[in-house]
Amino acid sequence: MNAVEIENVTKTYGPVVAVSDLSLAVPEGAIYGFIGPNGSGKTTTLRMILNIIYPDGGQIRVLGETMHSACTDRIGYVPEERGLYRKMKVREVLEYFGSLKRNGRLRKDVDAWLERFDLAEWADKKVEALSKGMAQKVQFIAAVVSRPPLLVLDEPFSGLDPVNADVLRQAILDLRAEGTTVLFSTHDMNVAERMCDTILMIFRGRKVLDGTLSEIQDRYGADTVRVRTEAGAAALENLAGVDKLTDFGQVQELRLDGTRDAQAVVVDILGRTRVSSFEVMRPTLRDVFVRIAGPEAREAAEAGPRTREASHA
Amino acid sequence: MLKALKVARREYVATVRTKGFIIGLVLAPVLMGGGMVVMLLTRGRVDTADRRIAVVDRSGAVAATLAQWAQRRNEQVARSPSGPRRPAYVIEIVAPSDRDPMAQRLELSNRVRREELRAFVELGPAVLHPRGDTAAAHVSYHSQNSALDETREWIGGQLSTLLPRLRLVEAGMDTSRVPDLFDGSAAEPRGLFTRDPSTGRVTDAPRRSEAEAIFPSMAVMFLMFIMMMMGAVPQLNATMEEKSQRIAEMVLGSVRPFDFMLGKVIGGVAVSLTASGVYVLLGMYTLTTLGLAGVLPYRAVAWFFPFMVLAVAMFGALFAALGAACNDSAEAQSVSFVGILPMVIPSFMMMPVLLAPNAAFATIISLIPPFTPIMMLMRLATPAGVPAWEPWVGLLGVVLTTALVVWLGGRLFRVAILMQGTPPKPQNLVRWAIRG
Repeated sequence: MNAVEIENVTKTYGPVVAVSDLSLAVPEGAIYGFIGPNGSGKTTTLRMILNIIYPDGGQIRVLGETMHSACTDRIGYVPEERGLYRKMKVREVLEYFGSLKRNGRLRKDVDAWLERFDLAEWADKKVEALSKGMAQKVQFIAAVVSRPPLLVLDEPFSGLDPVNADVLRQAILDLRAEGTTVLFSTHDMNVAERMCDTILMIFRGRKVLDGTLSEIQDRYGADTVRVRTEAGAAALENLAGVDKLTDFGQVQELRLDGTRDAQAVVVDILGRTRVSSFEVMRPTLRDVFVRIAGPEAREAAEAGPRTREASHA
Repeated sequence: MLKALKVARREYVATVRTKGFIIGLVLAPVLMGGGMVVMLLTRGRVDTADRRIAVVDRSGAVAATLAQWAQRRNEQVARSPSGPRRPAYVIEIVAPSDRDPMAQRLELSNRVRREELRAFVELGPAVLHPRGDTAAAHVSYHSQNSALDETREWIGGQLSTLLPRLRLVEAGMDTSRVPDLFDGSAAEPRGLFTRDPSTGRVTDAPRRSEAEAIFPSMAVMFLMFIMMMMGAVPQLNATMEEKSQRIAEMVLGSVRPFDFMLGKVIGGVAVSLTASGVYVLLGMYTLTTLGLAGVLPYRAVAWFFPFMVLAVAMFGALFAALGAACNDSAEAQSVSFVGILPMVIPSFMMMPVLLAPNAAFATIISLIPPFTPIMMLMRLATPAGVPAWEPWVGLLGVVLTTALVVWLGGRLFRVAILMQGTPPKPQNLVRWAIRG
């Protein structure tokens, strides 16, 4: 069964098409990642799943029900822009947000989560006294304390230091292990690659990728060579059979255009400089992202027939 | 609805727990009551220094008697050993200068500036017979603050008695034969006679006072205004902050926008009910303790609460919707007049309504829903009261208007609360409210 089903959903803001004819299915118990450039329609889609804004057309089913307000009681939500009542105490604010979704006493759950996130001693402090990272963890607790079967997180890792990001990542994995479906958007391709069972990419309001990481990479094949050389990027200019060179400083990636074998390209490089290491690989998610939404793709799209669609988050 | 109540509970607790609310709750009556006590205690005692007044009498007939009367008044009032300290009026008769009257006036003005004189009075040569030459019959009073100077009132009062008396004397009449010739008779303000239904006897008409006619109306008007300021107006900035600090989206993940707004409005109503309950009970207790229970407008008090609940709900929804449309405090400040104006307008119409509470003007104004809560209560608190049907019709109008404002406000709120960066232009507000 799918936790979320979206069929042919469209949302416009005046002349701007934020989401166009989008369909997707999030399997129950999965971690489902939304990626896409800023303003591509990720947040709009998440808000429609939450029933915060309504689609102009199409259908959204969440946890087996066509969306209405009661469904949101079973969805935990952390919006992209963090916001908590600054004058309330941490425990009070968590009990308040939890009580909006679940009746009954929440004190035990709140305290358990605070303990888990190393925030127990801050329970009776005002939110305004928390650091940004702490506030972000409190916001996460506010979303999960009502034990929702579906968790929607908009950029949950942004702004977190590595230690807190690890704590949050582990909490998400634990929730998934307990049966919670997790749907989150991210700009961090590494996070998406490592955590998501399924990845969906939206670009200019339209779905451009949907599948497991392996399925996505299979579409492009092993067309990338990663090399580490003595001379660096300067020695890799104008290689035959190379479509694009990406310089990461210590390492360079070459995207092949399909006219030459990877081995032949490596031989050419050896003729120019010493090679410390090389790897023939499938494109990373970041590379796929850039291929779809990078400047070259944008220029190509703009050179083609102009469409009415524009991005809006 | 349950979620709206949960939002309301948070709003209520967040407000009543603040030091500002607690201090305001205690401080407002203390300041108002204290202010009145200070005013009563210091009335007539602020400036008790003797007041020297120069009189330039060009008629030559008035100044000497005026000085005698001032002397007599000082002995009776200002120098009385048993009474409180009051200022004495010392009249200094100054011979008029025919050579250069303007120079004399300037010199007297300078003496006033140097505080050697409180004022100087100039009586024209024809002051006794003004019909012949009105210009020459002038009486002018010159001081630093002549318009509000109570000494001017005393001089004027004396002259209004003295001049007719001098005219009679000049006509050869012996005014001593009629000592009460100029004694006035003020009409005592009294209410209407009624028949006591239990005994069947006609009861005496109660005595009325200006304070009784004005104080209860002013009190309910200010109380209603304060309650709207406490319960409704804060919704503007609170909602704007929830939007700008991105709290709103977190709440909207759990609560429908309409329930969110409704919860805020109900919270504001609860805050107003708490504060007004305290003030009304405190006021009733104080007046009863002071033996002034008779001035309590019980009918207005009974109507106060339903009108207040509706007024705070109506304006609270309006301010919450406006707050949802604003992105920062500058925008909130600029749109606040949309809600503040209909709250303030009744105070501009207070006096005509109090003077004629059952005239057509007062009736019509008090049936215009945004003004009804204040204007109807003001009229109900007057001794004349209003016909029994009017509060009900007014209440119906306010109920319908409140429902409309809450509905339109909910539509505006839903669209605007997540709309970042779009300014609250009038056309945007109207479009969001109508289209939803």
